[in-house]
Amino acid sequence: MDIFANLWLGASTAFMPMNLFYGFIGCLLGTAIGVLPGLGPTATIAMLLPITFGLPPESALIMLAGIFYGAQYGGSTTAVLINLPGESSSVVTAIDGYQMARNGRAGAALATAALGSFFAGSVATILLAVAAPPLAAVALNFGPAEYFSLMVLGLVASVALASGSLLKAFAMIVFGLILGTVGTDVESGTPRYVFDIPELYDGLNFVAVSMGIFGICEILRNLESEHERSVGVKRVTGLMLTKEEFKRIIAPVLRGTALGSFLGVLPGGGAMLASFASYAVEKRVSPNRAEFGKGAIEGVAAPESANNAGAQTSFIPMLTLGIPGNPVMALMVGAMIIQGITPGPNVISDEPELFWGMIVSMWSGNLMLVILNLPLIGLWVRMLTVPYHLLFPAIIGFCCIGAYSINNSVFDVFVMAGFSVIGFALSKMRFEPAPLLLGFILGPMLEENLRRAMLISQGDPSIFVRSPLSLSLLIFAVVVLALVLSPSISRKREEAFTE
Amino acid sequence: MKLKRFMTFAAVSAAICAGGLQASHAQDYPTKTVTVVVPFAAGGNTDTFGRLVAEELDKRLGQRFIVENKPGAGGNIGLGDLARSKPDGYTIGMGTVSSNAINQTLYKTLPYDKEKGFAPISLIASLPNVLVVNPDKIKANNVEELIAFLKTEPGKHTYASSGVGTSIHLAGELLATKSGIKITHVPYKGSSQAILDVVAGHVDMMFDNIPTAAQQVKAGKVKALAVTSLEKAALLPDVPTMASVIPGFEATSWHGLFAPPGTPPEIVEKLSKEVQAIIADPAMQEKLKAMGVTPVGNTSEEFKAFIDAETAKWAEVIKAANVPLQ
Repeated sequence: MDIFANLWLGASTAFMPMNLFYGFIGCLLGTAIGVLPGLGPTATIAMLLPITFGLPPESALIMLAGIFYGAQYGGSTTAVLINLPGESSSVVTAIDGYQMARNGRAGAALATAALGSFFAGSVATILLAVAAPPLAAVALNFGPAEYFSLMVLGLVASVALASGSLLKAFAMIVFGLILGTVGTDVESGTPRYVFDIPELYDGLNFVAVSMGIFGICEILRNLESEHERSVGVKRVTGLMLTKEEFKRIIAPVLRGTALGSFLGVLPGGGAMLASFASYAVEKRVSPNRAEFGKGAIEGVAAPESANNAGAQTSFIPMLTLGIPGNPVMALMVGAMIIQGITPGPNVISDEPELFWGMIVSMWSGNLMLVILNLPLIGLWVRMLTVPYHLLFPAIIGFCCIGAYSINNSVFDVFVMAGFSVIGFALSKMRFEPAPLLLGFILGPMLEENLRRAMLISQGDPSIFVRSPLSLSLLIFAVVVLALVLSPSISRKREEAFTE
Repeated sequence: MKLKRFMTFAAVSAAICAGGLQASHAQDYPTKTVTVVVPFAAGGNTDTFGRLVAEELDKRLGQRFIVENKPGAGGNIGLGDLARSKPDGYTIGMGTVSSNAINQTLYKTLPYDKEKGFAPISLIASLPNVLVVNPDKIKANNVEELIAFLKTEPGKHTYASSGVGTSIHLAGELLATKSGIKITHVPYKGSSQAILDVVAGHVDMMFDNIPTAAQQVKAGKVKALAVTSLEKAALLPDVPTMASVIPGFEATSWHGLFAPPGTPPEIVEKLSKEVQAIIADPAMQEKLKAMGVTPVGNTSEEFKAFIDAETAKWAEVIKAANVPLQ
């Protein structure tokens, strides 16, 4: 099998001292921002994007990927120790993890999170190596019609899978779609909603918008509730799992890994959804379901495995099709374009060192994260004691530098500032920003591909159902939509998200 | 004490230098760092040429020439900045066929005075486009066969481009108007996705910049029918020119150096001479040719005449093809 030769090629890239170094930096940073509640991987990657311009593409992407899955690890640490999820994907981990910590089993909870993540990460890496190349072969068949149908599926899935109110998620997606129409229309070259501002001719900048809506907005929210931030860290003792605990986590880790790997591949899915879904599943199938909410180790093992597996498999659509499934992947696509690599089906054949190097680096990164997380928990907790009034000016400073350096333009700094206010207002009204960003990314692609397909077919809409690929995607979208609308599922969904 | 005296001396001489700058002559130019505005993103063709020339100017004139990328609105943002900067030779910038010859017609309003324009320094290089077709979709081995084939099925075939009003799009319009064929334009954001869809057969053909297209031609994924420069291209020596079928057909993507309007002619002249010398250097010639680029390096007057001719040519194509103005 070629796969061993490919993995060997990947290993020779990933284990180069420089790439190991950048991978380590990425994991370290990712863990750090995972621990810090104010920052997520999206804002961090957005901020670090300009710095990667000078690096070789392999090192740049290995570092950015490290930040992403590092954040999945770091987020669980504070969730368990102080009931403060550092990352949205570790929200459910906090439920049983914190109870375990109160029972004096904090060490076991953290060990479970780390080991479960490592196992899931390793499995997802193998899945990427095996399933990604065949997926890429299919990808050349993706013309404008197929892309359009895929975007439809992505949008439907993102509504279906968003947490909280369905109506609000839908409203946010529409808002994102509207924002996506700003700029020069690709088909006719006509400027739309630009108000004669030349800076708007290329549309709103995604990095500036996302930094405003996530990064700066998070700071505003944290400043508002600073007095509530408590650091009541209990002493962590006994890192090891008992034999009985170890037996109890095997099945949840396997189920979490499977569910996470699957949901991660879907556009609009990703790590957060995977953790919610697997927690809901465990709660129904576990023999110890009575213990849930009171410190069940399964309640930590399953979502932590799922979010890590999902984080990793969400690279599949990005690497093989060039389609970003979530905002972090959209930034990765941006990073690749800046490096002169067109993300798409050709990446595997044109840039094998990059592709396989990244895959192998995910495994080595996971290994580093296990080593990093267990002994360094004490340090992460101490980072939380840095007074926020010292931390937030630094974060704002970095954000401004990052926004300015995208186009060397002050305009993008204003865009970021404007969107931080919008983001804050939305969070006050309990609207989630993630669907907005997905709409903002998918919207222009949806429109462009729809109109491009219609141009190619000379205005014949049957192009969308004539292609088997496009037809299956549309049918899948209809099925997902039907599931969302069916009363029993939506009731279960509500239940799962109110846990 | 000694230090203090030195500091006073330094301050005084700095003041004299600053005063002297006002009346600076071309002989002294440059006496400080020069900014080279590149109105496109880092890593693209224009950026590469800008950086290559800036590095050499740096060496030859003994001052730093720093490249600053100001991308956006088809180059208009960076050029607007260039037009507004002081015309003293310490801010110069790159311009291309789109930003300095096509946009003049394509955009109803520009962030600078169309009439005043810029002071052309020298044309650095030009890149031919190459007409590539998907061999399964278009049964033609040369341009004559292509035109004959397209005439039998008018409006049924498509060509991709990197966006409305780009030199790649207008080359397609030029072909359509000159040969009287009807083909549907399918614009993309940038040429990489566009060439991918030609390779996969979703779109039938396109004119693409030669460096990227040559890769696909050599891999046998698409067939090259003609290049759009007046001479054959070094990267694809077997491919004939469009001009051999349609006389005078020329659609190149060119990149040159400009100064803001009102820059002293002596400074423009000095820079032009330097750029000409840089381009004439055998090592630079080789470097550019390896990239599939035709090195030029002409005088300010030659460059100006060239831009005027290009602006007139593309204005005519835009009008004939009814390209909507932005």
